[in-house]
Amino acid sequence: MTDEAALASFRLADSFLPVGTYSVSYGLEQFVQSGRVEDAADLTALLETYLRRQLETASLVALRAAHDAAAGDDLDAVCEADRRLLAVTLAAEFRADATRAGDRLLTLQRDLETDPFLEAYADRVADDTAPGTHSAVLGAVAARAGVSERRACLVCCHGFVTDLLGAAQRLLAFGHTDAQRVLTDLQPVIVDAVEGSADCSLDDLIAFTPLVDLVSAEHERADRRLFSS
Amino acid sequence: MAADVPHRSFGAYADETVPQAAVGAAGKSGRLELSFAADADGRTRLVRDYARTPFHVSGTLGHDPLDRASTVCVQSPTGGVAQGDRHESHVRVGPDAVARVGTASATKVHSMNRNYAATTTALTVESGGHLDYVPDPTILHADARLCRDARLDVARDASAVVGDVVVSGRLARGERFEFERYYARLTGRGPDGRLFEDASHLHPADDDPTAPGVLGDFAVYGTLYAVAPSADESALSDRLHDRVADGPGRAAATTLPNGAGVVVRALGDRSETVSTALHGAWDAARRELLDAPAPDWGRP
Repeated sequence: MTDEAALASFRLADSFLPVGTYSVSYGLEQFVQSGRVEDAADLTALLETYLRRQLETASLVALRAAHDAAAGDDLDAVCEADRRLLAVTLAAEFRADATRAGDRLLTLQRDLETDPFLEAYADRVADDTAPGTHSAVLGAVAARAGVSERRACLVCCHGFVTDLLGAAQRLLAFGHTDAQRVLTDLQPVIVDAVEGSADCSLDDLIAFTPLVDLVSAEHERADRRLFSS
Repeated sequence: MAADVPHRSFGAYADETVPQAAVGAAGKSGRLELSFAADADGRTRLVRDYARTPFHVSGTLGHDPLDRASTVCVQSPTGGVAQGDRHESHVRVGPDAVARVGTASATKVHSMNRNYAATTTALTVESGGHLDYVPDPTILHADARLCRDARLDVARDASAVVGDVVVSGRLARGERFEFERYYARLTGRGPDGRLFEDASHLHPADDDPTAPGVLGDFAVYGTLYAVAPSADESALSDRLHDRVADGPGRAAATTLPNGAGVVVRALGDRSETVSTALHGAWDAARRELLDAPAPDWGRP
């Protein structure tokens, strides 16, 4: 990877990236509300579930397929990975967040540079033939920026964990050092998730987290909500 | 690795020969074909049925609260699913027909030390038709290995309710999560292709099923899919959620991807708790989709 590609990956992993992920909690708000997450240990365990049972087995698999396709100028294959990921995302709020963040990332990237491939992808999202999930868009954008597939997976995991740590800081008595500690503790889990995702194909996509789905469905109807999920 | 392995995680088991009746032998390779059609009066008839052991079908039952509907209760004379079993079911509901397919008892998946058991199910609902596919719970005994693959095809103006309850062991004797591996997948398809895909994979020895966000403290896990591409899925989701939100057990509804309908997840400590929650959701879905209540959950 070139220095430019490395810098592009830092930019994509930065919580400064304006894709609206500060409003997501992926069920964490409801887990906290229902008393299932109370401290850093609970949070670390829950994040491990997300990393190993949603990202590794679904998001990263789709990201890799989209990356591979975008690197080879195969828009149909990007859209297929995108659609396959959406089809296994059963919680409605997760789909809404994933497509909102994906749309913002795609729009942002097209404002920054002219790439006919991303323009064509955006057309597919606009006419509803591709959903534009964040992981698929990230895979495509990273590939076009020269960011390697593996690095793009790491960016995805890092971004996901920092988003949820940001949410945790607003939901729990949870300091900056605590947040950094959880992030550091989860590094080996992230590496394992990225490794594991390499062995899966789109036909293996699975996000088996019934309690997360259930909690997210409850969150849809919660009276007071800080977060969109 | 044998060529017909339904999921790659079952590849290593496939090479193990079965010491009793072999894979594919009589009684091991079940096949069920049911085809329903509406007659000139609008009543649903079972127009084709074929059952090879261990499936058994003895005609239809007429006790559905909806007069024009037909019910088939699929029986198993073998008392459960054993290693080396390969079961294949096909259910077709023709235009404007309304059918329910249930079972006579819970499906017990026996302990295995060689090979595995696999079931494939293909459900098709044609224009204006409705299918309720709501078998009794599946009980995974210690060391069981089960792989299930199901496919549901619905026409744009058709609907289906598919229910599934998985019990992690013979709970009354303290057995929980002692099975070896359970994989199940349902793919829902409409006229334009895949609408949603939901897979479960439990391998308790390697991946803790009680992890937070997975099953937590619960021993029984259920899902009910109310697939109705032409329905107002948000309204249907709220209707189903209202029925299940206050118990028993813990359950909630959300809309499926691609406007396919609604999915209800339910978790509980006992099979009855989860079944009761799903029956409530099923009843609410039937009232919304067919303007008729669901039949009683018990035996058809």
